[in-house]
Amino acid sequence: MAKAQIQETLKNALEASVDPVSLSWMVEQAEKIKASTSPNPFFLAFSRASRYFNKEAISWTEGVTMALPEGVDPSAWDCLQVARMFLVLQLPFQNEVWEDILQRLFETGDMYEQQALYAALPLLPNSERLLPRAIEGCRTNISLIFDAIALHNPFPARFFPEANWNQLVLKAIFMQRPLYLIQDLDRRRNTALAAMATDFAHERWAAGRAVMPEVWRLIVPFMNSQYLEDLKNVLASTDATEQKAGALAAYQSDYAPAKGLLTAFPSLQEACASDDYSWEDLGIEFQKNRI
Amino acid sequence: MYIDPHIHLVSRTTDDYEAMRKAGIVATIEPAFWLGQPRTEVGSFKDYFSTLVGWERFRASQFGIVHYCTMGLNSKEANNVALAEQVMELLPLYAGKEGVVAIGEIGYDDQTEAEDRFYRLQLELAKEVELPVLIHTPHRDKKKGTTRSMDVAVEHGMDPYWVVVDHNNEETVKEVLDRGFWAAFTIYPHTKMGSERMVEIVKQYGPERIIVNSAADWGISDPIAVPKTAALMRKMGVPEEHVRLTTYQNALTVFGLSGQMHEDDWLKAAPIDQTKKLGGNSVLRGGQVPRVEGPDDRVEN
Repeated sequence: MAKAQIQETLKNALEASVDPVSLSWMVEQAEKIKASTSPNPFFLAFSRASRYFNKEAISWTEGVTMALPEGVDPSAWDCLQVARMFLVLQLPFQNEVWEDILQRLFETGDMYEQQALYAALPLLPNSERLLPRAIEGCRTNISLIFDAIALHNPFPARFFPEANWNQLVLKAIFMQRPLYLIQDLDRRRNTALAAMATDFAHERWAAGRAVMPEVWRLIVPFMNSQYLEDLKNVLASTDATEQKAGALAAYQSDYAPAKGLLTAFPSLQEACASDDYSWEDLGIEFQKNRI
Repeated sequence: MYIDPHIHLVSRTTDDYEAMRKAGIVATIEPAFWLGQPRTEVGSFKDYFSTLVGWERFRASQFGIVHYCTMGLNSKEANNVALAEQVMELLPLYAGKEGVVAIGEIGYDDQTEAEDRFYRLQLELAKEVELPVLIHTPHRDKKKGTTRSMDVAVEHGMDPYWVVVDHNNEETVKEVLDRGFWAAFTIYPHTKMGSERMVEIVKQYGPERIIVNSAADWGISDPIAVPKTAALMRKMGVPEEHVRLTTYQNALTVFGLSGQMHEDDWLKAAPIDQTKKLGGNSVLRGGQVPRVEGPDDRVEN
């Protein structure tokens, strides 16, 4: 998708939410960035955007999101982030300087700047060249930055090799991030991840701590006699959300003994059969109750 | 509510953060300083500056404390001229960032030629990026050094109302206030400026342009020196309004000149965990009560 079209879309989205003065400042900066051979106007504008844009959410209309590259979900972006994305897209992507400029910005960015940069990855031309940077970014312990890479972002599912993808999902579990906001989670489930996730669950149980219900989504395609024991545990939980998660994992699996567990829980079986709740519902329920 | 406008939080523990929040500190300013020993590479400065606008800000937010910082090359390390020149190239990258409320702490340590050169260059930077200045006054030959810091600031066209002169004592305060600068006082436990002396100063000079801070760092220092001093002021009969000015409002007024520090930042704080906002649970805990983060807001890591 053409860069110009993405920029136009971002600008239109901002128009409805911000002061015209801020918008004309942004457009003016974009011209300065394009006209300069030094990266300084870009660095300066990127930082100073916080003086013109706030962190209020933007309301996106459906038509607008259609104009963004496939899989891009802007629902979590705020005005400041979108303005910064607009500015990043001014970089000269036709030569390779842009990589150095962006690396420098990633290394010196404050937490909101980094949030904007990582969330912008799927908008950048040749963004796969920033794969090492995205993998490095997942090592952050700042949840705001981690979320920008892991949640609402098509980049990891599209480009992360399996080992890094698994590390991302596992870290999301560890940090109790909402797994339902990780794009293409089902498609990229794998046996190694299922094994790591259940090991993690065992550690939590050993410590007498609860396990995030969304974890059981990861074992569905790989159900076997070992995971069956885990499911029995989950179904016996006193926590309703956890129990519902165990039931859904059992219901969705093709492993007959797992499905068989549900006969002891007719109301849960019925709820699964009539699509009463989804993994997303369970994730939302969990996040709400952990407050 | 209190503001500690000078504290080096990178050196403090989470116990300190909890104690600070419990004592009523809602916002802090972390001036860029040295690390107790001189750095030898410009990359160390880069990562330190990035920490001030990154990890430390996040860490503070998990305890319901809003973290701001000042950016600058401190006077001690200005003496390594080759390195200092590289740091000066780095500073413009950070000076404009969100939550950077001043250029500082800058000024003199041994009052050398190199210190003078980089102090002046940074005064020019402050004017260029329209930020207040935080001056670190020397611990040795203090009186002369303080006077000189102000002379040079004026020589570079700084409005004294945009300049905070820090680490004052009974000997320096009068001139600083008379010349229209802000006078900050660091409460050092055991030595130098203690809370008792601070109370006397506020009684003598009144609350105008006087600011109390802890400058707590890796040395013996007290991260809740500001609330403790406020308590002592009340006990000693200092009017409530004077307590409020010296331990909250004055810092907000002068560092607020940066446009980067607003009361709403803590009174209407958004939850740091963005999923809570997205989950529709961002009931803004507004009004006059700052948002208080609980253990659930902390990310296990």
